[in-house]
Amino acid sequence: MSLDILNTAISRRRFLQVSGATGAAAAAGAGLEGVIGQPVPKAMAASAESKTVVTKNVCNQCPARCGIDVYTTDGRVYAIYGSLESPISNGKLCPKGYLGAYFLYDPDRFRGPMKRTNPKKGRDEDPKFVQISWDEALKTVADRLNALRDKGESHRFAILEGRGWGASDAGLHGTFGALYGSPNVAIGHSATCADASKKAKLLLDGNYSYNAYDYANTNYMLIFGASFLDAYRPYNNNLQVWGHIRTKSPKTKVTAVDTHLNTTLAAADRALLIKPGTDGALALAIAHVILTAGLWDRNFVGDFKDGVNHFKVGEATLKPEDFNEKWTKGLIEWWNVELKDRTPKWAAGITTIPERDIVAVARELATTRPAMVLFERGPTAHSNGVYNGMAIHSLNALIGSMYAEGGLMSQMGVPYGKLPVRADDYMDDYAKSDDRKKHPRIDLVKQEWLMASNQSQAVAGNHLAGKPYKLDTILFYMTAPIYSAPEARKWEEALQSMYVIDTSPFPGETAMFADLVLPDHTYLERLQDAPTYPFQGWPMTTLRVPAVKPLHDTKVYGDVLIEIGKRIKGPMSEYYRKLGNTENLIRHLAKGFAENPGTNGVNSFESWKEKGCWYRKPYLWRQVHGEFFEWDGAGYKKPMTPEDVKKKLLKTASGKFEFKASYVQDNEKYAAYINKHLGVPIERVGFPQWVAPKFYGGGDLHLNTPKLALQAEGRAGNVPHATTIAQPVVGGRRTIYLEIHPEAARKRGIRDGDRVRIKSEVGSVEAIARHYQGVRPDVVVLPNILGHWAQGRWARQNRLPTGSASELIVNKSEPISGLAMYYATKVTVQRA
Amino acid sequence: MAKWGMVIDLEKCTGCQACTAACAMENNRLPGEQWQDVVFFTEGEYPSVQAKWFPRPCMHCENPSCVHVCPVRATYKTGDGFVLVDWNRCIGCKYCMIACPYGVRFYTDEKPLVGPDLKTVFKSNDERSWNPPWKMPDARENWKRGVGIQPRGVVSKCTFCYHRVSKAPKGVADLSEHDPETREYTPACVVACPPTARYFGDLDNPDSEVSKMIANKNGVRLLDQLGNKPQVYYLTGSGGAVPSNRAIRKT
Repeated sequence: MSLDILNTAISRRRFLQVSGATGAAAAAGAGLEGVIGQPVPKAMAASAESKTVVTKNVCNQCPARCGIDVYTTDGRVYAIYGSLESPISNGKLCPKGYLGAYFLYDPDRFRGPMKRTNPKKGRDEDPKFVQISWDEALKTVADRLNALRDKGESHRFAILEGRGWGASDAGLHGTFGALYGSPNVAIGHSATCADASKKAKLLLDGNYSYNAYDYANTNYMLIFGASFLDAYRPYNNNLQVWGHIRTKSPKTKVTAVDTHLNTTLAAADRALLIKPGTDGALALAIAHVILTAGLWDRNFVGDFKDGVNHFKVGEATLKPEDFNEKWTKGLIEWWNVELKDRTPKWAAGITTIPERDIVAVARELATTRPAMVLFERGPTAHSNGVYNGMAIHSLNALIGSMYAEGGLMSQMGVPYGKLPVRADDYMDDYAKSDDRKKHPRIDLVKQEWLMASNQSQAVAGNHLAGKPYKLDTILFYMTAPIYSAPEARKWEEALQSMYVIDTSPFPGETAMFADLVLPDHTYLERLQDAPTYPFQGWPMTTLRVPAVKPLHDTKVYGDVLIEIGKRIKGPMSEYYRKLGNTENLIRHLAKGFAENPGTNGVNSFESWKEKGCWYRKPYLWRQVHGEFFEWDGAGYKKPMTPEDVKKKLLKTASGKFEFKASYVQDNEKYAAYINKHLGVPIERVGFPQWVAPKFYGGGDLHLNTPKLALQAEGRAGNVPHATTIAQPVVGGRRTIYLEIHPEAARKRGIRDGDRVRIKSEVGSVEAIARHYQGVRPDVVVLPNILGHWAQGRWARQNRLPTGSASELIVNKSEPISGLAMYYATKVTVQRA
Repeated sequence: MAKWGMVIDLEKCTGCQACTAACAMENNRLPGEQWQDVVFFTEGEYPSVQAKWFPRPCMHCENPSCVHVCPVRATYKTGDGFVLVDWNRCIGCKYCMIACPYGVRFYTDEKPLVGPDLKTVFKSNDERSWNPPWKMPDARENWKRGVGIQPRGVVSKCTFCYHRVSKAPKGVADLSEHDPETREYTPACVVACPPTARYFGDLDNPDSEVSKMIANKNGVRLLDQLGNKPQVYYLTGSGGAVPSNRAIRKT
């Protein structure tokens, strides 16, 4: 600013060269209200902003499926707000939601399909991409896949899938794999996500899925390592719920358990800073107190026949026949073999949580109705993860919160219409041949990993070892294990000897190792369906409607896959020609709504586009005081038989919530497997129980690498607006800090703000340390965000931490679920 | 004429910073140029440690220090309660930044928190200091009110989303984001706030929701003892941080 003071009486600056009202406003005097003569808002909207269009889309920054209103003027996106029509957003968004335009207009996006011309791969190798046509790109892929098929090696093609959205993207994978003949299409990311919590629930209540929750009506929440106000999905809705439950009458009381004080613990009524991996011990002690104090929910669980509480500390002489169990199974046996000794004193020694806190939590939990217990990756990404999860989830049965108001539910599916074409009709002899069934999945799921669903984190190592074989071609969709998988650097080695296809719109680490880039649209450019993650139980699906025409020569991933399919030899190409494209597919999905119109009136593709979502309330089932009822159109009045409950809700062998899980207890192979890998005696594999966690990495400090609110699924690395507010409690602004307790820091000569080296047996990363009283002295916290060496100019320039936190994580997996043990690594920290 | 004011319920605030992110989007702010910031601080020792947060927009004071010190009358108070900066007049002397007790004013030409500087990546070819593709439609921009992308060398601040609020129907008591009729006129941070910790309305109207909340829930103002009379009130309930009544020790 130069010395132009004298000229300020008349504007020395550009007068706004705009038409209409704003020009008039600019001409009005300063210091007054200044809008004299301004047209009324409606006229305003009609004139100056006449070209503003609002499009329905769905946020892409986490799996929650928040409906968004995208504001465009003259084809340019300038604002995004939550959609009032979306039952998840209710007009709101979390901070990530407002980043959308930065992704769309990211100057580092790929401009079109890219071919690598530098055969050498490495962090310091420029791929020397040249842009090619889509025809050439798709033909390149098809030629490779056809050649593999000709050699009988189609299993050497794999797709790794991250955040799939619905039937029009990841939903296409299964068919593609079947028609093409590869067991590796697709390998999901669930084993680097939260498979152990799902597995724990499968064993106990028979549902292999996350739960839906009735948060709004609960009066007590006990949260184990699911950072409700930091990252837990659906984050946006959680925050809305928080505003409600903390100001309703009675106020919902919250106890939160974690290894550092995040915003969830800070906002909770009671924060319990627990020793990593010991959440199961805490949950067992809570169960112990609930039983010995006689506080279990008799309506759901049942009672002793004589009405007297016989649960006495240390006494294992109870007989199952003396207890009338109602909706649970195995309580007395569980008590006898496990719970009787799980006293608060015992748990205090393991968890470091004081005995009186354990007793207080147990009493509050069991005497407040409704109450719920939730957990996710925190307690389960450990060697004892499934058992921790079982111990925690068992509490939901003891307090009777399963399917109760203010409790837990299961998510209902969406009645989509049928596709225009049946894949089975297009399987050729090759795809159907026994030869195809010979080859295991590259990740050895169902073999080495007997009970796991996925084991994507094993792919790099298995490929390098050639065990069971080497991959030829790999395609990544919405996942980047080279940045986010344990021992991330191993992927840099593995991807050198594969033909790598990346589909991200952004130049991430995977792309730097890619031979071919088939860039997807960003979400504001996509037409895409996205059924909800477990939310409030009733079925819901959402639709992304393009807000702008694609900025660059990109293609929505579903169409890329269909186009590749059309180019595969044999009947497979016919299938994909009949399927056409994703828009055709989505139109067929929408036909299912004609018979099942949504609560919001959506009954067709057009109305779905207009509203952005289809949903049908209410949830159909509810448990009330130990009886199950089905919705009869007016209320939960139609009584359900035990057979009904088993079919629709508690899907275990017994149709009960099984404290002795028959899924593993009655399966010799599973029981032997668990015995072999965890040392649990075969006769007790089915019980929620304490198994001491194992730690890896050779260090002396536990490493916690949590998600943050601004993490945006790992894609915020090139968004400086996210970086500057990313880790609010200990500073943020420029980088991500290592949270370290001042005492632990002083012992190592580390001052606040020192650059430190964090090291495990598998990797080393440097970061700036922040002294923080809110972290356990035996834990350090390095959020899993930033530390990119690619992903765009901002990500690259701000290389602190010097690597992804995943580079430090030892690649070990919980044996039952296959979940990567993200929180089981111990590190050393010293001044750099 | 309305006297617009805001109420922030600290008991509901989760520290998520949606307000900050939405403000940056709506008002085309640079990273770190947080007109609407959330200030985090910790107190106490492990394991009895507290982490707290305090959302902080411009207070749009009835008696604004910034207006008193501005040598060129670039910053001014409107009749309906906004404190605004006229970028056509501002000389960037930063007196206002020093005078403001709430630290809610920003100078355009600061070194960027995170490089490369967005101002160089999205270069402007006019008098705007930068030109991001996501910037608001031209028709919304209003330099006399400090709305839009500012020129170089000036001070900027929260406008209470003047460009939205000033278009509200006359006589309306409250601007609620939940009501489709008033949503588009409601400040971005209020629209954004997921737990609905923010309310916006006419402080001069005793029947407005904001007036009632201030009365019923003992609304307090930040650093009230300074006499600035903020038009932003905080409800502290039992859970929120209460920095409002701390004495300032003058040394």
